Amino acid sequence: MIWLETIANGIFLGGLYALIGLGLGFAFGVMRVVNVAQGDFIVAAAFIGLFLYPWTPVHPILVIIPVAVVAFLIGMALQWLLVNRVLGHDQIPQILLTFGLAIVLRNGMVAGFGANSQSIDVGEMRFWGFDFLGLRLGVLPALVLVIAIVLFAALHLWLHRSRLGRLIRATADDYQIVQLQGVNYRKVYAVAMGLAMALSAVAGVLLAMRGSFTPYSGSDRLLIAFEVVVIGGLGSFWGMFLGGMVLGVTQLIALKLDPTSGLMYGHIVFFIILILSPNGLAGAFRNAVFRK
Amino acid sequence: MSLLSVENLEVSYGDFQAVRGASLELEAGQTIAIIGANGAGKSTLLNAIVGLNSQKRGTVRFDGQDITHLRTDRIARAGITMVPEGRRLFGTLTVEDNLMVGLAAERPGPWTIEAIYQLFPRLGELRSMVAGSLSGGQQQMVSIGRALMTNPRVLLCDEISLGLAPKVIGDIYRCFDAITASGVSVVLIEQNVVQACAASGYVYCMLEGRISLEGRPQDLTRAEITAAYFGTEVRT
Repeated sequence: MIWLETIANGIFLGGLYALIGLGLGFAFGVMRVVNVAQGDFIVAAAFIGLFLYPWTPVHPILVIIPVAVVAFLIGMALQWLLVNRVLGHDQIPQILLTFGLAIVLRNGMVAGFGANSQSIDVGEMRFWGFDFLGLRLGVLPALVLVIAIVLFAALHLWLHRSRLGRLIRATADDYQIVQLQGVNYRKVYAVAMGLAMALSAVAGVLLAMRGSFTPYSGSDRLLIAFEVVVIGGLGSFWGMFLGGMVLGVTQLIALKLDPTSGLMYGHIVFFIILILSPNGLAGAFRNAVFRK
Repeated sequence: MSLLSVENLEVSYGDFQAVRGASLELEAGQTIAIIGANGAGKSTLLNAIVGLNSQKRGTVRFDGQDITHLRTDRIARAGITMVPEGRRLFGTLTVEDNLMVGLAAERPGPWTIEAIYQLFPRLGELRSMVAGSLSGGQQQMVSIGRALMTNPRVLLCDEISLGLAPKVIGDIYRCFDAITASGVSVVLIEQNVVQACAASGYVYCMLEGRISLEGRPQDLTRAEITAAYFGTEVRT
């Protein structure tokens, strides 16, 4: 029973990890931009959440909405003012740009908020639990998983049903040709980066509610994001979701067996998957289905 | 005054000058063709007109306005679009989604999704198929349809017959009667001289980045065209 509970909790955590990866994977899928500053933006979003949650009506968890809006605007500005200027065949300038941004952001947060560990207090909810098939599970972790699933599904539907979603997919396929259809791909990119940031920001705030963070947490978050995206298979939507699950479940089972292991076994599983299937789980699935 | 005029256009890729001072005119309602061998600079010329090439000199005028340095999406919104070489469909989108992207130009006109399905009935049957899975000829129809969805005044077509079966080429070219009848002016790039002469009212031949010959197809002799195409002297 204890193992089932551990796996369930791993799935809850995996939903959050998937959400952390979604922003990075979405930005990469649409623009081929690897945003190295993503981890530090996730932490910055947690600080914004920390600042805004005392004013949030109804329930502190709703703070994800204003933080997402702020992050969306920051993402648009980031793309419009900085990243769009360095786009081209060469990926290096854009990686250097976001890397530099990450350093500035991290040190700015240390200077502004200090290096202490912080957490967003959701009050009583932290201790609420519920019984499910004989398992005792936490309300907050389950709610986080539900939010992750809703966001994945919403993004998927929006991309496939809406006009702007269609333009984003077309731009991801061929950013030169969309211009011949009258589309300013720079605007599309700005919206895509705004969305990527908003998704990451939600993940950052939820992470800060489940645990704690410091201005230095960004590199851990970025590593998780990279692993989720790579395990899932670059740009594969539901592959990323699965990638988050794999990391979350592995980590919690490993912690039960070896309480001091931290994230190590998650990283090991990531390496094993990378060696066995360089295209991630989605790639392995495609091979199994189409190779025959 | 002509609808589209290109004056002394020069385009370079780094050190290599692909177009060396080309001029051409397109009247409203007219279809012209640009012929020439591989590497003559035909595609570069079209790409420069729609602004996909930044290193250029000379002037491109559309409806009296200088559009030489306008952005590609602005040019498309003004009414010039292109069917690119190699079709370049949005491979993960469905046929219908590919066509609908053209609505972004926000140019109302006769070319709606229904009109495209009427022009290419096969596309109506394939509307929910992923574009990347279609045959070459079907993809070319989607590519032309996608361009038409912007309701262009000028349609540039880059080697639409490339890699297609003769029957399919015939089917596609037959549709151009309906396209020009709707008021669209067309610039065709062709390697196939016979096809180009049959489909157009005026032909430009390019050789090594320059216009080596121009005229109405009926006024040009085979020998003249051969000489201008390959750069060889006419032997009599």
